[in-house]
Amino acid sequence: MYGNIIDIKKFAIHDGPGIRSTVFLKGCPLSCIWCHNPEGIDSKINLWYFEKKCIGCHRCVAACKNSALSIGSASPHIVIDREKCINEGNCVEACPTAALCFDGKRVSQREVIDVLLEDKPFYDKSGGGITISGGDPLFQHEFALGILMECKKHSIHTAIETCMYAKKEIFEKFFDYVDLFIVDLKVFNSANHKKYTGVENELIKSNFEFLASKKENILVRIPLVPGITATKENIGEIASFVYEVNNKIPIELMNYNPLGENKYRLMGKANELLKGIKPLPEPELDALYQIISDKGVKIAREKKVKQ
Amino acid sequence: MANYIEEISKLQISHRISLLKERMLSEPRFLSLEQALLITQCYKENENLPRILRRAKSLSLALNKIEIRIDPLELIVGNRTPGVRAGVVSPEAGISWIDREIETLHERPQDQFNVRKEDIEEFRKTILPYWKGKSLEDAVKDRLGAEISAIGKVVKINQTDHAQGHICPNTQKWLAIGPAGLKKEAEEKLKMASDDKKVFYESVIIVLSAAQDFMRRYSKLAKKMLVEVSDGRLRENLIEIERICAKLADNPPETFREAVQSLWFLFVILQMESNASSFSPGRADQYLYPYFKRDIESGKLDLSGALEIIEALWLKFNQIVYLRNSNSAKYFAGFPIGFNIACGGQTQDGRDASNELSFLFLKAQEHLLLPQPNLSARLFKGSSSEFVDQCSRVIGMGSGMPQIFNDESIIPALINQGISKEDATNYAIVGCVELTTHGNNLGWSDAAMFNLVKVLELTLNNGICLQTGVQMGLQTGYLTDYKSYEDLEEAYKKQLDHFIDRMIAVCDAVDRMHAEFLPTPFLSSVIDDCLEKGIDVTAGGAHYNLSGIQAIQVANIADSLAVIKKLVYDEGTLKAEELLKALQTNYEGSEELRQYLINKVPKYGNDVAWVDNIGAKWIEYFAEKLKDYRNARGGPYHTGLYTVSAHIPMGHNVGASPDGRLSRDPLADGGMSAMYGRDRNGPTALLKSVSRINSMYGSNGTLLNMKFLPDFFKTEEGIKKFSSLLMTFVDLRINHVQFNVVRREDLLKAKQKPEQYRGLTVRVAGYTAYFTELASDLQDEIIERTSYGDI
Ligand code: SF4
Ligand code: SF4
Repeated sequence: MYGNIIDIKKFAIHDGPGIRSTVFLKGCPLSCIWCHNPEGIDSKINLWYFEKKCIGCHRCVAACKNSALSIGSASPHIVIDREKCINEGNCVEACPTAALCFDGKRVSQREVIDVLLEDKPFYDKSGGGITISGGDPLFQHEFALGILMECKKHSIHTAIETCMYAKKEIFEKFFDYVDLFIVDLKVFNSANHKKYTGVENELIKSNFEFLASKKENILVRIPLVPGITATKENIGEIASFVYEVNNKIPIELMNYNPLGENKYRLMGKANELLKGIKPLPEPELDALYQIISDKGVKIAREKKVKQ
Repeated sequence: MANYIEEISKLQISHRISLLKERMLSEPRFLSLEQALLITQCYKENENLPRILRRAKSLSLALNKIEIRIDPLELIVGNRTPGVRAGVVSPEAGISWIDREIETLHERPQDQFNVRKEDIEEFRKTILPYWKGKSLEDAVKDRLGAEISAIGKVVKINQTDHAQGHICPNTQKWLAIGPAGLKKEAEEKLKMASDDKKVFYESVIIVLSAAQDFMRRYSKLAKKMLVEVSDGRLRENLIEIERICAKLADNPPETFREAVQSLWFLFVILQMESNASSFSPGRADQYLYPYFKRDIESGKLDLSGALEIIEALWLKFNQIVYLRNSNSAKYFAGFPIGFNIACGGQTQDGRDASNELSFLFLKAQEHLLLPQPNLSARLFKGSSSEFVDQCSRVIGMGSGMPQIFNDESIIPALINQGISKEDATNYAIVGCVELTTHGNNLGWSDAAMFNLVKVLELTLNNGICLQTGVQMGLQTGYLTDYKSYEDLEEAYKKQLDHFIDRMIAVCDAVDRMHAEFLPTPFLSSVIDDCLEKGIDVTAGGAHYNLSGIQAIQVANIADSLAVIKKLVYDEGTLKAEELLKALQTNYEGSEELRQYLINKVPKYGNDVAWVDNIGAKWIEYFAEKLKDYRNARGGPYHTGLYTVSAHIPMGHNVGASPDGRLSRDPLADGGMSAMYGRDRNGPTALLKSVSRINSMYGSNGTLLNMKFLPDFFKTEEGIKKFSSLLMTFVDLRINHVQFNVVRREDLLKAKQKPEQYRGLTVRVAGYTAYFTELASDLQDEIIERTSYGDI
């Protein structure tokens, strides 16, 4: 079976316990305006252009049979007409510097599993394993599930990172093959959720309740976006909700990652909203964590080394 | 166990140590001619004596005459010059280069020294004329110079202008019986000795007596200083110095402080005799332990007292630096002197050997963050998690130490070289990353560096140097002549064999000349079997007599041959003519091709088995070939995989290579590392790639650099994950790894404002140096190396 992935990142150290490899699948039912893996939203594979790597040899222009590429004025060297581009990759093949490349690739389950197995010695020593993230693992669910099943055969610890926006029957299929569920709760107010992510969140909430009624190893993550998710009200509401569902489930706050902005540029898009947004300073992070513990919910936060 | 770990983790640096550190770092470095003048005087007066006796008498004179100094704050005393970090000149080894460079020493790009004007005159008037044609350097040049330069772009022959270092003496024995006991042993032997051996024993006795005198001089100086010092605590300290130094002259040490003082005297005197790069204390946490334990148990000493003594010794290790010529300083930047200490590891019966001292050593490193000692930690499957975590923590502080060595691969690799299991289990590290046994080996670990990449260049271009057009190698044909990849491989083997042969002949000759010019009776007294056999260590007196050759550089070989194999032969998508022409023109007008080669063919360091295995194959070929030879002292040649900073000058000698590297650009750094920026799959993939190079073939030592940003070490989880990375490294049987932990911005700032970053140390290669004291291109190159853990 084949699927579309963005990439597999080895030595992933923030996606569950130990040293892990994380598979980023393409395709997500949400489209959060702050998304830091924007290439994960679209399940199709699209062309990327790294202007910094381009040496202006124009081989790509000659290679494209659809006249989708042209030579820009001074910079950028290459202009992609995304209407004309059919993403078949003649230019990628021709480009000597990999300035033109795809934001993902089509691979078989076997290929993914082979790469995941390469770092087994590291998982075993560190209590790590593999994580499927995205995009969202529930989007190409059959593909994801096949990988998880195979990993379990090799006794590898598995985790998924999901927004839980999927049919309950599909979500349930994962339950027996996942050791750790890392689930996103982003915005508590459903109308706001729709405003910022494109969908309402009733399904997410009920899936979360369903998961909590069946499984134990769950970690809730809240992506922090200043002014949107990182407000006292929102964090407080999510914490109360988690407390009611199961007060043993911990919450981790994911500070804002400014790398996403750069990725929009590669895709030839702009995200005005993200311009200038900075990660939250430490004291503000502390304050938000305090709200969570005040609600009686456990916090999952890495312990600082004493100096 | 947990008790002392907790207690040690809370220990603070003492005011005394902070003050001494500050004083040491602020003192300017000078060239010192004092000992050179004494040696010259002694040689003049003893023209007719055998070389070894002249050497012994010169050392004796220096030990008795050289100006000495004590800082009343110091717990451990002794140095070979009154000033700290002075550049010492050894006329017997070689000074022609000093004549050429003395005016520029203060302004050369790397490892500067101030030179007093009167010293320049004295040097030219008294020292230089006498030694013309008499030093090792001049003789090597005279006898071997033509061949050394003929093969110079392929082979860098070392040890041509200084005495042998990279040695781990039998410190344990020195502590057990002291100079007096050793002297007695030599006297006994002398009585029974045949005539040809008498002069050796006489020389040993002369230097050991002088060693005793040297210690007594410190005792007397301390006593004399009491007249001027009124502060009660300082007086107490001076009285203790007076007592200890007097005692050590005639008796072995009993307390921990006495043992550490005795150890330091040993290394000062070794450096006075040889002025060589690296004498290693080795596993000091093991052999100092009985002294430590006795004092702790009797209540004479507590952990903080022990730490202060250790830190006092650590400061001492930074007071002796090594003066190299400017070319050598390029290869070994930062005047490393390589007091290498290996802590942890295992006992003879396979138990975890780490103890309080191992943790105290790590603590001292954490407190001082200085380049010396070159602190190493030995890990094995049974290392306690506390010890591994502590190593991770200290690595995270960013001084590049401890570097990590792997018992699981090193012990079998040494056994494979004919070393007994017991000696292999007790291995130590010398210099940067070279492996040795303890106290019984002349390992000659830096005999030469062999440039595999240059030989590949010659193989592709019919033996003709791409840079000069000179016919350097055999005429085996051009890339375009080889019908198959196998044909190319055959030609490569022929060229390698040819240069290995020529290299060994020179190495042998240099080795013999050391015995002729630089016998070392003092060192011989602390290397097993020399006293027994009555043979100087340079003449083959040691129990083990190895020679190490470095094979350079696996990444460029793997990457270059991968390009040729895949594109030219397997797929046929790149014409041999086109590639050859690109190499001959240094990719002039072929930038697209060059980019394609860099970006579209898999590279070593990314866990791509077929590419890594090409590198592994040629290391194997080289190492197996060396087995055909024996060195001048009767021992084997074996292979090392490290360059220290030599990848820059060695790269300078190599024309454009098929991996997309331009002519004169550096080779991959370190030894086992991937080419910069070409390991794109993170540290786990890099380690997997490196593990494909059989560690058996790195028995002389290997070097892998990895760089992490400090964020990784800020959380307990990060420390744990780092520790498990280390333990996987142990399982993967890679000999060595070391880590630079530093932020890019820090480095950029340090480059611009060196005065604000005087204390910033980075791992250059096999050792740590002050970043601000490195030449600017080396700084850039450290900034360029890949870093992990930054997102
Ligand atoms: S992917 Fe194909 S259609 Fe699109 S720009 Fe490249 S060559 Fe043209
Ligand atoms: S082929 Fe690549 S490097 Fe050349 S112009 Fe196109 S994008 Fe730039």
